[in-house]
Amino acid sequence: MFRYQSLEDCPLDEDEDAFQALGEEDEDIDQFNDDTFGAGAVDDDWQEAHERLAELEDKPVANREQDGPSGEDSDLLGEPEDTLAERLTRLVIDSELEDPAIMQAVQTKVPAQQPGGLNSSIWDSSAVLRRIRGPLLTQEMPSVSVLDYALPQRPPQTREEERDPSERALPRRSSSPVIGSPPVRAVPIGTPPKQAAVPNFNQQILCPKPVHIRATMPQRYPAPYGERMSPNQLCNVPNSSLLGHPFPHSVSPVLTHLQRAQLLGGAQAGRMSPSQFARVSGLVGSPLPSVNPKLLQGRVGQMMSPASGFRAFFGAPPAPSQPQHPPGPAGSHLQSLRPQSQMFRPDTTHLHPQHRRLLHQRQQQNRNQHRSLNGSVGDRGGHRSNQQERKDPYANLMLQREKDWVSKIQMMQLQSTDPYLDDYYYQNYFQKLEKLAAAEEVHGDGPKKERTKLITPQVAKLEHTYKPVQFEGSLGKLTVSSVNNPRKMIDAVVTSRSEDDETKEKQVRDKRRQTLVTIEKTYSLLLDVEDYERRYLLSLEGERPALMGERKQKICDMYDNLRGKAPGQDRPSDDHFMQIMCIRKGKRLVARILPFLSPEQAADVLMATARNLPFLIKKDAQDEVLPCLLRPFSHVLYHLPLGTVTSLVQQLTNLPQSATASAPTNLHLTAVLQNKFGLSLLYLVLSRGEELQSSDANTELMQDNQWTELMLMATRELLRIPQAALAKPVSTPSNLISLFSRYVDQQKLNLLETKLQ
Amino acid sequence: EKHLVLLRDGRTLIGYLRSIDQFANLVLHQTVERIHVGKKYGDIPRGIFVVRGENVVLLGEIDLEKESDTPLQQVSIEEILEEQRVEQQAKQESEKLKVQALKERGLAVPRADTLDEY
Repeated sequence: MFRYQSLEDCPLDEDEDAFQALGEEDEDIDQFNDDTFGAGAVDDDWQEAHERLAELEDKPVANREQDGPSGEDSDLLGEPEDTLAERLTRLVIDSELEDPAIMQAVQTKVPAQQPGGLNSSIWDSSAVLRRIRGPLLTQEMPSVSVLDYALPQRPPQTREEERDPSERALPRRSSSPVIGSPPVRAVPIGTPPKQAAVPNFNQQILCPKPVHIRATMPQRYPAPYGERMSPNQLCNVPNSSLLGHPFPHSVSPVLTHLQRAQLLGGAQAGRMSPSQFARVSGLVGSPLPSVNPKLLQGRVGQMMSPASGFRAFFGAPPAPSQPQHPPGPAGSHLQSLRPQSQMFRPDTTHLHPQHRRLLHQRQQQNRNQHRSLNGSVGDRGGHRSNQQERKDPYANLMLQREKDWVSKIQMMQLQSTDPYLDDYYYQNYFQKLEKLAAAEEVHGDGPKKERTKLITPQVAKLEHTYKPVQFEGSLGKLTVSSVNNPRKMIDAVVTSRSEDDETKEKQVRDKRRQTLVTIEKTYSLLLDVEDYERRYLLSLEGERPALMGERKQKICDMYDNLRGKAPGQDRPSDDHFMQIMCIRKGKRLVARILPFLSPEQAADVLMATARNLPFLIKKDAQDEVLPCLLRPFSHVLYHLPLGTVTSLVQQLTNLPQSATASAPTNLHLTAVLQNKFGLSLLYLVLSRGEELQSSDANTELMQDNQWTELMLMATRELLRIPQAALAKPVSTPSNLISLFSRYVDQQKLNLLETKLQ
Repeated sequence: EKHLVLLRDGRTLIGYLRSIDQFANLVLHQTVERIHVGKKYGDIPRGIFVVRGENVVLLGEIDLEKESDTPLQQVSIEEILEEQRVEQQAKQESEKLKVQALKERGLAVPRADTLDEY
């Protein structure tokens, strides 16, 4: 599955070939199975093989000439290399290994003779591998760890096909195995692939395709010497030039520590794979006694400096830039703590620019330190200058490629087809930051780099229609439920209760629940409507009218939900609306919806609110969320015509139409005045009225009896209420005084003024 | 390249980060567990730690220059352990009182045993 996805995502031409190559792997599966559980799983002969190989180790290394098709080994290597390389190039999804130097070199191998038939039932995987096995064994190939077959989840077939048995080989131990060694041989699931992360950094494909990295040809890494064998290191067995290895020359695929020592000693410059060096360096500090002194001397820093790539290895080992790399992947851990930026640089693509700068600074420093040593092959000098390494021999236990691997996994997890859906808050947060930065930019200096955010890989949404697995010739389909094919587990049926059985409380509860459901539905509509703007911008021209239509429809739906659909009736009752308004979320919902409603609808809402204000106030005592409505209300008020304003005030004050009998106390108004929201609202409305009045001198307002009466009533009430009882409004509009001045005399005006303060 | 790791149970470990994986499992070398009580702290050397990823809360790199720059006072191990014990005791006392008070009022604090302590 995983692999399929990666293949589908792959835009490169090798698709077809890759598919063909995949077919070949099926045959390997059975063999692998056998190896793991059947005959091949026998482990016992590793010791014998080990002994045998130990003797072989003493063979002269001279075989490993650079140009040596002469060597049987190299020839043997050549052919399997070749075939494997070909197959692997087909498999390789990204073009990392299209390094012409590598490919040419690999393909110039002369197909060689059959390898000697060294036993290894374990390695009966494929003919190719068998051929490899031969020479490798003769080259002191250590025993095979069957456990290596039990490998991580990543496309195992790909891996194992490519896998050189030498990978599983244990190097010769110069001392007896440490107690914990058998388990050590097991390859843990979390092991990073034994592949080169990016052999040629200059051609590295963008990070967004980490899947492809996994299918990259595994690189052969040297077996670490002896004792300190972490499982990872175990897998990173002697390199093989099988797979488009950057060293096209017939370097022996198996490099025991002895060979390595020789290499390090300067016999063959730059032939070691980067990880070899890294491994060696990582192992130098081993406290275990039987450390090969040569290895100890051959300390090399971490090879994979981003700029150099593998080509540098042909020349001389690039200046190590080691211990500072640990912050790299550790930094990737801090993704959640720090935004990171992606640049197309090899191993630092996912780091925050600041972080990357720091890293490279340190690298530069180290590079400069070792600049002089670049000429020396064996790096015997390397260790001399590298003081930091000496102080911390445990540095760089993790290869750069391992770090890259981990960070790629993490990047993969960030892949998203719809960032707005998956990561809404993050996106919004950064939009806000960017706006801030842009605003600041206008005033000040350039944009701050710290604001760059991690550009997560964006995968195009591909529709995969899932077809359940089918076997030919079988009857029916397999009933397998998986993520893509979920199976219904529970039948949840909605049963409506009969009305009679319910008690009053239950009815009330049900009604409340219904209201809650309505609120939630309306909320979804609201979120959709709010999102339309963004979609509008993203959509094509043709789609836009449709989008607008949808939006309008949704707005209508929302309004209907709010007011309660009363088919065939005017809206006689505010009941539904009141129910919603009793719930805190409902009030917030209304506040958010108001901007979307048409003026009439909005006014309607306002009226309903005003009408029932005391009730709402009472209910709001605990939540105190009514003031959130003030702002949208004021916006609405701006657009209200006069008549509406009048009625609003009326509602607020709850005066009977004809003030024939004015009650001595107006409870409604009193309540309104004593509540923060109510008072503020009242003020707002009054202020709006005043605006209208003052803006147009000839307005009928002056002649409007109703308005005058209302004003008188309001002022009277205001005066009556003791100062203490008066609520503290959110804001006191300035034109209230002028409003009142029309209706009251100076003395009262002064009183009012004091009250308003 | 010292790193500071905060674990879910509230421990702080400081060590050289040697290895990670995609689950945030960490291998720390020359680890020191640092206990903070008030303004004092104490270090207990622990050696090599392998931490399972799910227990990691956060991980940060220690700036070696700034490391010496703290207002905190380092004390001996015994002292800090003693302080910690005292602190724990005090916490437990207050917790007990709280539960008692709530019980009297008829309320019960749900004991979320699976919750992390910090």
